[in-house]
Parts: sequence; C-alpha cells; structure tokens
Amino acid sequence: MQRMSVVQWFAKCGFSAVTLLLACGFATAWFGNGLQLPSTTTRDGALITLNRYAKEPIPDVVLVGSSLTFRLKEEYFATPRLRNLALAGGSPVTGLEIVANQPRLPRIVLVEANVLSRPTDTALVERYSRSVDAEPVFFRPIRTAVAAYESWVHAPLSHTQVSFALSRLLAQPPSDFDNRIYADRALQQFNAEDPTLAARMNIKRIEQLIPAVEQRGARVLLFELPYSDQLEDSRSAKITREIVHTKFPDPERWLHIDSTRRELRWADGVHLDERSAVIATQSIERALTSLLGPR
Amino acid sequence: MTFTSWQFGIFVAIVFGAYYLPPFRTLQTQLLVIASLFFYGYGQPELLPLLAVAVFGTYLFLILALRNRQIWLPIGIAFNLALLAFFKYKFLFVVPTSPSFVGVAPIDFLLKLPLPIGISFFVFHNISLLVDLTRQKSSPPDLTSVFLYIIFFPQLVSGPITRAEMFMPQIKPKYFGEIPFVEASKWILTGFFFKLYVANNLNEMTSYMDFPLYETLQTQDRWLLVFLYSYQIYADFFGYSAIAIGLALLFGYRLPVNFNLPYASISFSEFWTRWHISLSSWLRTYLYVPLGGNRHGPFRTYLNLMIVMGLGGLWHGAGLSYLMWGLLHGFLLVIERPFISRLQSIDSTVFRAARITFVFVCVTMLWIFFKLPNFDHAIGYLSGMFTSSTNPNPPKLFYNLALLYSLPVMIQHLASRSLFERTLRGAEPYLYGLMVALMYLEAGPETSFIYFQF
Repeated sequence: MQRMSVVQWFAKCGFSAVTLLLACGFATAWFGNGLQLPSTTTRDGALITLNRYAKEPIPDVVLVGSSLTFRLKEEYFATPRLRNLALAGGSPVTGLEIVANQPRLPRIVLVEANVLSRPTDTALVERYSRSVDAEPVFFRPIRTAVAAYESWVHAPLSHTQVSFALSRLLAQPPSDFDNRIYADRALQQFNAEDPTLAARMNIKRIEQLIPAVEQRGARVLLFELPYSDQLEDSRSAKITREIVHTKFPDPERWLHIDSTRRELRWADGVHLDERSAVIATQSIERALTSLLGPR
Repeated sequence: MTFTSWQFGIFVAIVFGAYYLPPFRTLQTQLLVIASLFFYGYGQPELLPLLAVAVFGTYLFLILALRNRQIWLPIGIAFNLALLAFFKYKFLFVVPTSPSFVGVAPIDFLLKLPLPIGISFFVFHNISLLVDLTRQKSSPPDLTSVFLYIIFFPQLVSGPITRAEMFMPQIKPKYFGEIPFVEASKWILTGFFFKLYVANNLNEMTSYMDFPLYETLQTQDRWLLVFLYSYQIYADFFGYSAIAIGLALLFGYRLPVNFNLPYASISFSEFWTRWHISLSSWLRTYLYVPLGGNRHGPFRTYLNLMIVMGLGGLWHGAGLSYLMWGLLHGFLLVIERPFISRLQSIDSTVFRAARITFVFVCVTMLWIFFKLPNFDHAIGYLSGMFTSSTNPNPPKLFYNLALLYSLPVMIQHLASRSLFERTLRGAEPYLYGLMVALMYLEAGPETSFIYFQF
C-alpha cells in the first residue's frame, strides 16, 4: 500500500512535469522562438539583436562593433534596411564572424575599429552559425510571458516614429553634464590597458574575414567613432589606432565619419551620449549615401 | 563536481545503484568513503592528501584524547584550527602569484595550494568529533566510520555541519526498502528548483552589484538588488542544503535541517535559530557555551556574543567585510537582548509584521558585506544607496522578472504552513512536477554555489 502511494506520487509528479514541457514544446513549434526575450544582461541584449538578424530578411547594411557602436540605435538611422549587431562588452570580430557565417550577406558591413582588445565570443559565434534546426525545443515560459508584456508595452520604434524627437534633440545645445569623474576613470583605464596582443590577433582575423566576405559580394568598410580628446591620446586608443591603420592603410577601406567634434559629448567618459550618437549616425548615413545609391 | 552538473548525476546514480546491491551490504560504509574521496578529488586531486592528513590527524588525536582528554583534546582542536587558519588566511601574508615564497620547495608548495573546497566545514566536523566522542567517553570508532562522518559527499563541501553524536549512531547497514523516496525527492527537487530557477536567475541581476558595475546603477536599483541578493543567497544556500539532505536520505542518513524560514524571524536571535542552523548551533555548542554563554552576567554575555559572531564572520573568509558582517550581527543581538522579553509580550499581528520587516531589512542590508568582500567596495555600495545617481546611462533591470524569480522565496515565507500541509496536500505531487519542468525550462546561467568559496 505504502509502495503504491509512492508510485502514485511519482506518477502525478511526472505527469504534471511532462504536461508543462509538452505545452511549451507545442507552443514553441507553433509560435517559434520569435518572441524577443527581455535582456537582464548586455549578453541578453545581444541575443535579442542577433535573433532578429537570423530570422528577418537580410538587410542592406550591418554594423558590427563594441559598446561604442551599440549606442547608435537602429531607429536613429533613416536607412530602412540597417541592423546594428554591435555587442556591448564584446568584440567587432564576433559580429563579423556571425555575419560571415550566414548563408546570405548584406551589401555593406561596417566594422568598428575602436575597441579591438576583447576576445571573440566563440560561444555566440557557434550559436549563430548553426542551422535553424538547432533552435531550442522549448521556450522559457516566464521569460516569454515577460517578453510578450514588454513587447506590448515597449514596442520597438521606427525612424519615422522618433524622427520628430530626434530633430528636437538635435535642436538643443550639447549637454553640459559634468562628466569629469567618469572621464578621469576612463582615461586611467585606457592608459593602464595594453591591447597590443589582442588587437593584433583581432586584426589578423578581420584581415582573413574581409576577403572571404567580399568574395561573396558584400563590401566591408572599417570605421572609427570619435573619442573625447583625452581618450584619443590614451595609450590604448593610440596603440589600437596604430595597429589597425598599419594593417589597413588604404583610405578606400575606411568609412570616414566627419562630425563636428565640439558638438559631441561623452557622458560616461567613453560612450557618446544620445544627442552625439544621433549626430554620429547622421555622419555615417551621409557617407553611406554614395555607397548605397539613391533610395 | 557540483550538484548541478550532469557528471554529478551519473556519479550519484552509479553509487546509489551499487550501494544497495546485496554483495555490498557489508561494505556500504567503505563504498561511501571511496565515492566521497572520488567526489572530492574530482575537482582538486592535489588536495586529497590534505584531506587525508586532516582525517588521520583527527583520528590520532581522538584515540589519544579518549585516553587523556585534558591534554589531547585541546591539541587536537588546535591542530584543526591551525589547518583552517593556514589555508584560509595565508593569502593575507603572501602574494599568490609570487614565484617563490620562502625558497624551500615543500613549504612553497603548501603556500601555493588553493583554498581547499569545504575546509571550513570538514574542520568543524573534526572538532565536533573530538569533543562529542571524548565527552561521551565512548569506545573509539573505526577509522572508516570517522572517514565517512567527515567526508560524506552530500555534506562535505558546504554542510550542513552535522554533529558527531548525531551522525555516528546512524552508521549501520542500510536497506533499499527503508528509503523514504518521496521525502528525499521533495528535498532534492526543492533544492534544485531554488538553485536553478531562483538563485541562478537572480544572479544575472545581482552581478550588477559587483565593483565597478554598481557605480552605473540608479539609486532605486541599488536598493532592489540588495533585496534580490538576499533572496538569492537564501535560495542558493537553502537549495544546496536541501539537495544534501535529500541525497543523504537516499543513502540512509538523516542530516540536520539547515534553514527554517529565516526571513520570517521576529528577532535577530530567532533569525540565528533559523538561518544556517547547523553553523549557529555548532558555534553555540562549541564556542559560546565554553566561553561562558550567559552564565556570568550581562556584560560577559554581550562580550561572548560579539566574540562568537565576530569569529563566525571571520570563519567565512579573511576579510574586513566578513568580520564587520559578523560584528554587526553581534551588535544587533546585543542591543536586542535587554528588550526581547518586553517585545515578546506585545501580542499584535501588526507589531509582529513590523518586527519581521525590520529584522529582514537589517539582515538584508548586512548581506552587502557578504556580496562585496572588499570593505571599501561594500561601503561605496552602501553609501550610494543614500545618494542620488548621476550616471546618464544606467542599466535597465526588469522588475517583473525580478519579482517572478523571487516569488518562490516569498511564497515559501509568506504562505502559511497549513496551506501546503492541508489545503494543497492533494496537489503536492503536481506542484513538484511543475517545479521540475520550470527548473529545466527556466534555469538561469550556471553559477557555482555561493557557499563553495567558504
């Protein structure tokens, strides 16, 4: 009798576990993994962007880079078919590898060359280099529920929706936020860092990936986002710049960003603030116009 | 090999399968000892000799102390405390990356050894063994039983700290038919659920409490994260203890319960009878009472409380933050003590709820010293909770996710026992089944148990 009740207990337990798993499995098969999971970390944020890239039609332009480029939000760009795959805390090589491993390529790939001291995220590259069959069988019910709620409350904005707000932002004077504490700390960090080894390795990989991508019809251009005057002269920035320009001296390989420096601000010492990011975005778009032709 | 790895699952399945086979009936203790040695050596094989030294040394002192307690018991305790002090506090005096310390190869080798996992726990087991068995004046146990008591794998790394007088009588042949399968499964499933669903998911958010990330947080998020960490550390350690208790039951051993809804405590003294119960009862039995406890007047009692809590803090690690954490808990116990009987006499639900909230908030605030062992960072975090944030780009935290991942801890503490024991009794297996599915579907990124570092 006692043993029977133990068996019953496990049968009921197993039944409810299997039922929930099957429900999530069927829901995944029915709806797919399309719902964007909310990000609790920067990595989760990257997954959202990369999920979209893998599932949606291939865009014309793709940006890859670090947290500096991550700040250039897609809705700032008037170019309609543009994706920003920059990874906060990551390396541009990770994004470039992922783009290169896709069956179809965009027309233009823009590679940020400011931060080359970070290693490639091999797990991320591997994940997004697999076929669609390797999608998870079950979605996460809690995160999906939160994702549905967040998507409903904060749906992604288009350029048209934000253009008025962007114009208003640009009409304002540059921010007078006192960022000295952050700027000093950033400078200290940039001066302490020696990116030589990592930058050389990353540049070598970029050098290998560029012909592989360009043979398939895409064009790869490097670009540098402006740092504050202080950081431009830091040890890390100077070493990185020297390595990358020695390897890629041809001006044709570069997308020139000509924004007015006095208009730019770096609120945390390193990253462009919102207004400056919009200005940088417009500079990139001006440079892109000649490459993409009339829309 | 952590409890949440697939290697551990295979290891337990093999040991469990062999343990109850009739040919092994007379060798169950030996089998568990070998399995425990394999478990310990799997991650740090170079530290197995140290474990052997600790066990053999303790056994030798036990034999000697059974003949002459007065002389050999203090030496045996000192031997164990010296082991603990050496490994736990040596990096206060030497730089771990230095190529050579004293130039003598064996000493350099010892100084370079990392902190042995679980040393704080097995050293306390050793001391309990010495004190309990010599106090009982019993005949010396066999070496295998001593080994099993000290290194029994479910409790080896992070407890619960089991007292020798409770564990040793349980060493006898075990039978498959006596296994309380449902009870063991409930402990194990609850433990894994709290670790994988609650602790690992909350850890993603509380990683923003680390230096220098916390400087980017908004003030209200600093507050939120402290409370999330409070839930996380409970879910993590309660989860580990629950898995240990469940596993031990599968092998026929009953380990002490380590947590009893600590965040529902109405006083700080009650908190310490509900949080990490095995450590607090160990400290009370082997430190507070021998120091005189409350038998020598109020001043001496307060001093004893401060000493015990200060040492309890240092037991966690060699850092000012841990000492501060212990001393502040001691201070709270001291200031509460004169008023405790007057507070208990007030019979009001609202007052009771207010007391629970006050204790919970104080305990939670002190976890900052645990999360940030660097004292300056802890103070930096704490002071930032009371000043407005100036960072223009704070990270975004999803409050709804934070709530959903904390919910099991809240429900466990707030729901009345009768709800689970009577009303939901019929639904119990289904609820455990849902927990199994959720811990699989919603498991957070793998992180080691917080108490492994101690």
